[in-house]
Amino acid sequence: MIRTWSKVWPNALALLVILFFAFPAYWMLRTAFLPTIDIQSDPPVFVPTSPTFDHFVTAVERPGFWLYVRNSLFVTLTAVVLSTVTALLAAVAVARFRFRGRKAYLVLILAVQLAPFEALFIPYFLVFRQFDLLDRLPALILVYFVSILPFTIWTLRGFVAAVPAELEEAALVDGCTRWQAFRRVVLPLLGPGLVATSIFGFITAWNEYLYAFVFMRNEDNYTLPVWLATFRTAFGDDWGGAMAGSVLFTLPVLIFFLIVQRRMVGGLTAGAVKG
Amino acid sequence: MGTVPLDGGRAGGEGVATVPTPTAARPAPGTADPAPPTPRPASRGRREPLPYILVIPSLVALGALFAYPVFLLFRMSFQQLGFGELVRRVTIWTGVDNYTELLGDGEFWQVVWRTLAFTAVCVLLTMALGTGIGLLLVKLGKRMRIGVSISLVLAWAIPIVTATTLWQWMFDSTYGVVNWALGTPGHDWFATGLSTFGVIVIIIVWQAVPFVAFTVQAGVLTIPEEYYEAARMDGAGPVRAFRAVTVPILRPILTVLAFLSTIWDFKVFTQVWAVRQGGPDGATVTLPIYLYDVGIASSRYGLAAAGAVVMVAILAVAMVLYLRHMLKTELDG
Repeated sequence: MIRTWSKVWPNALALLVILFFAFPAYWMLRTAFLPTIDIQSDPPVFVPTSPTFDHFVTAVERPGFWLYVRNSLFVTLTAVVLSTVTALLAAVAVARFRFRGRKAYLVLILAVQLAPFEALFIPYFLVFRQFDLLDRLPALILVYFVSILPFTIWTLRGFVAAVPAELEEAALVDGCTRWQAFRRVVLPLLGPGLVATSIFGFITAWNEYLYAFVFMRNEDNYTLPVWLATFRTAFGDDWGGAMAGSVLFTLPVLIFFLIVQRRMVGGLTAGAVKG
Repeated sequence: MGTVPLDGGRAGGEGVATVPTPTAARPAPGTADPAPPTPRPASRGRREPLPYILVIPSLVALGALFAYPVFLLFRMSFQQLGFGELVRRVTIWTGVDNYTELLGDGEFWQVVWRTLAFTAVCVLLTMALGTGIGLLLVKLGKRMRIGVSISLVLAWAIPIVTATTLWQWMFDSTYGVVNWALGTPGHDWFATGLSTFGVIVIIIVWQAVPFVAFTVQAGVLTIPEEYYEAARMDGAGPVRAFRAVTVPILRPILTVLAFLSTIWDFKVFTQVWAVRQGGPDGATVTLPIYLYDVGIASSRYGLAAAGAVVMVAILAVAMVLYLRHMLKTELDG
């Protein structure tokens, strides 16, 4: 009796955990594909018998949708490219060289990573106002760039350090210049690391809401999170449309996330168990 | 940086502890190779200009886009700065007036305490559930473990704005599935501050638990089986072995996770704002929402800046503790 119980309870708990964490995602999908009449039925319909794409059509045909997609992509991709390039340079410096101030620099990066950007929107607001950047997408690019930069440096540093320095030295011995050695030997090996780090940056910037909401007052400059957050209130209780919009917004993140998920655990806690 | 493969059992888990760097060249699964955390610098001259040139772009960016705004924030907090001053381009220094006004304001203190309590609840729930699920993951058979991992990854990957929309729909008073399941048709979950907070806490914890659970799982997977064997041979039962082996090894991981959760939850804006903009009747206004209301909505930039400084000061306690911890272990050498 006791033995069976000790076999049963972990699985029972696991089912509860699965229910709690997976149900909302399932509910989002089912609502997105359910005809409006069924969304309002009581008891609720759990499996759509006649799934429909109507809500997706509604969401996509809402004025501005493609504009917001473009805004989000433009802001996010530019910020990610900027921060990856800047971070790669810094990562090579801290991973490959010992120099005075290296440790201070690393402490700085680690500290800025924790900086509460949620407390800084007021000075940003004034700076951007001064440079007439308020309500313009470049303002968002700058904020996203600097907020994902520390993490990108910190993570890329690990990737660069993991490429054996001997490989680079061998290339130098074979007559490569340092730049050639980097480009032909180190850079190709960094590929997966660069992909993983930029995806992380992409997800962060793609999801960002506070700054987009505070700075982008003109509807033409909304990004997708701002659009999604106004979906319900702006158009009554169109939950089907809101869920279809959510699915569209979530899909790229989910795909990217699955690619990098394996690498995301541990970075910030890595030091914890080595003491 | 460790990995937690979805199908990783004890043998497949490389764990947080032993693999400090995320890399394609990680040690093969199963090997517990405690690589040194600090990068191996190439043996090159100490006085080279190249590393300095390489860090310049990032320093310029951080200086202009981070340090300068922080400096402005501090400076503004000593000014009377509203929309009028901004338009007329005048600077009125008022010393610590903003701070006196803020700290003498009962409403501000209410917001501070509310934020602290809200953070404490979020962190406690996240840590308890996350640790429990992390330990559960290790105990489960392969199929169940994959099922739990996938559902955790789903919750983790869903964007915050999606999550808030989604949970609001589930808690909708008329057609929400929660009211149907609980048999409380028509109940308005957003009528009182407490129950609105309840929904917000659920959203935050739901998204925060997966990271904690996976990290704990990875931590447990790094514990060599021999430790448990030794404990068994010394006559320890499962409970005793857990307390003598698992707990001490997990403690530093849990400490760091608790710091991080505190830092993250204290400054949450999106979930709170997207649910009811601090409502009903300002009952769910937390510090970031307060800063928005005072700073942007009422254009009292100086006062809001002082509030932001107070917020940073409170956060700094958790941040300093976390940094000290990280520096001791991550950067030595």
